[in-house]
Amino acid sequence: MAVEGAVLMDPAGLKAIGAGLAVGLTGIASGIAEKDIGSAAIGAMAENEALFGKGLILTVIPETIVIFGLVVALLIK
Amino acid sequence: MRLLQKFKNKGKSSQYKGTSNYAYLAARVRAMKSKLVPKETYPRLMNMGISEITRFIQETEYKREIDELARTYSGVDLIEHGLNRNLAETFTKLIKISEGEPNYLITEYLRNYDVWNIKTLLRGKYYNASADEIKEAFVSAGQLSYTFLSELAGKQSYSEVISVLEGTVYYPILKEYDETNLSDIENRLDKMYYTGLFNVIGESKSKDRKLFAKFIRTEIDIKNLKTLFRLKKAGVSQDEIIDLIIDGGLELSINNIQKLLPLSYDDFIQALDQYSFWDSISDAVNSDTDSLINVETQLIKHSLKSASSFSHVYPLSIVPIMDYIISKRNEVNNLRIITRGKAANLSDEIIKNQLVI
Repeated sequence: MAVEGAVLMDPAGLKAIGAGLAVGLTGIASGIAEKDIGSAAIGAMAENEALFGKGLILTVIPETIVIFGLVVALLIK
Repeated sequence: MRLLQKFKNKGKSSQYKGTSNYAYLAARVRAMKSKLVPKETYPRLMNMGISEITRFIQETEYKREIDELARTYSGVDLIEHGLNRNLAETFTKLIKISEGEPNYLITEYLRNYDVWNIKTLLRGKYYNASADEIKEAFVSAGQLSYTFLSELAGKQSYSEVISVLEGTVYYPILKEYDETNLSDIENRLDKMYYTGLFNVIGESKSKDRKLFAKFIRTEIDIKNLKTLFRLKKAGVSQDEIIDLIIDGGLELSINNIQKLLPLSYDDFIQALDQYSFWDSISDAVNSDTDSLINVETQLIKHSLKSASSFSHVYPLSIVPIMDYIISKRNEVNNLRIITRGKAANLSDEIIKNQLVI
C-alpha cells in the first residue's frame, strides 16, 4: 500500500504540477485584471493619443502577479 | 464582482446586444470630457468679438463642423449651426461606441432630441416656416436621422408629417393635433418622454438602472422647480401649474408639490429650505428679485455639480456618461449664450449672469 502510494505521488511530478498551477493561475489572474485596464486604456487613447505611454504602463502593472507566479514556480523547482 | 454578475445573468436571455464594457466607455467619455472648454476660458471668450470666437472654437473640438459649414453660413449662424451639429454628432458617437445596457439607456435618454425635433416640425408648420428654416433648427442627436427629418420638413402640411410618423411611439399623441392645441401636444410629448424613461427603468433592478433612475429623477426635480418658480412668480393658478408638472421627482414628489402649490411666492420659497438643493439656490432666491435667471443658473449648476460628484462615486457605471451628456449640453448652451449675446449687443454683465460655469 505504502509502496503503491509512493509510486502514485512522485515528488518530482507534484512539483511540476505545483509549478504549472502557480504560473497558470496567476496568468489567468493577470488576464482578468488587465482586461478592464486595457479596454479603459484603449478608450482613453481613442480620444487622446498622448495617453498611449501611460495606458501601456498601467495595463501591464498586473503583469507583476504572473511574475510572482513565475518566481514561485522557479523556487519550487 | 462584474464577472460574477455576468455568470449569474448568463442563464437569462438578454434583449441587449453585446456586453456593457464600462471600463472602455467610461475612460473614453472621461477623455472626451477633459476636452470640453475649461471654465477659465469663458471670461476670455467674453472679451472676444464674434469672428474671434469663431476662430477660437475652430481650434477646439468644433473644427470639423465649423470648416464644413463655413461655406453656407457666417457669423453667429455659423457658430450656432456648428454647435448644434457637433452636439448631434457627439451624442450619436456616444450611442455608437457603447454597447449593451448603457447603449440602451443612452438611446432612451437621447430620445428627448426626437421629441424636440418633432416639436420643431410642428411649430415650423404652424407658423408656415420654410423647409430650410425648419431644417436649421433640428438637432438630430436622437434616433430620427437628419435625412429623415429633412424629408419631413419638406412636407406640405402638418397632417402629412404626422401620417409619416405613424407607427412611432409618438403617433397616438400626434394624431390628436389639430393646429389649435400645439402647447398641449408639446406638454404631452414631454411627459411621454419621461414616462417612457420610467418604463425603461422599471424593467429591471440592476445597479445601473437604479443610478440612472436617480439621475433622471433629479433632472425632473430641477425641471419642476423651474416651472414652479416661473409660474409662481407670474401668479398662475394652481390647476394650470399642476398640468405642467412632471411626475416622478426624487425629492419633489407630486405630493410634495401639491403641498407647495397653494402657498404664496414668499411662503413657497420658505418651504423649499428643507430640500437638499436649497443650499445652492438660497443666495439667488429672495422675494424681491425681478429676474429668475440667477435662480435658474444656480439650479443648473447644482445639477451639474451633483452629476459630477456622483460620477466619482460610481466611476464604472452609466453616471459618468450622463454627466458628460449634460456637461456637453451646458457647454454648447454657454457658447451659444455668449455669441448670441454678443450679436445682440448685450452688456457683458447680462451675458455673464446667464452663463452656467
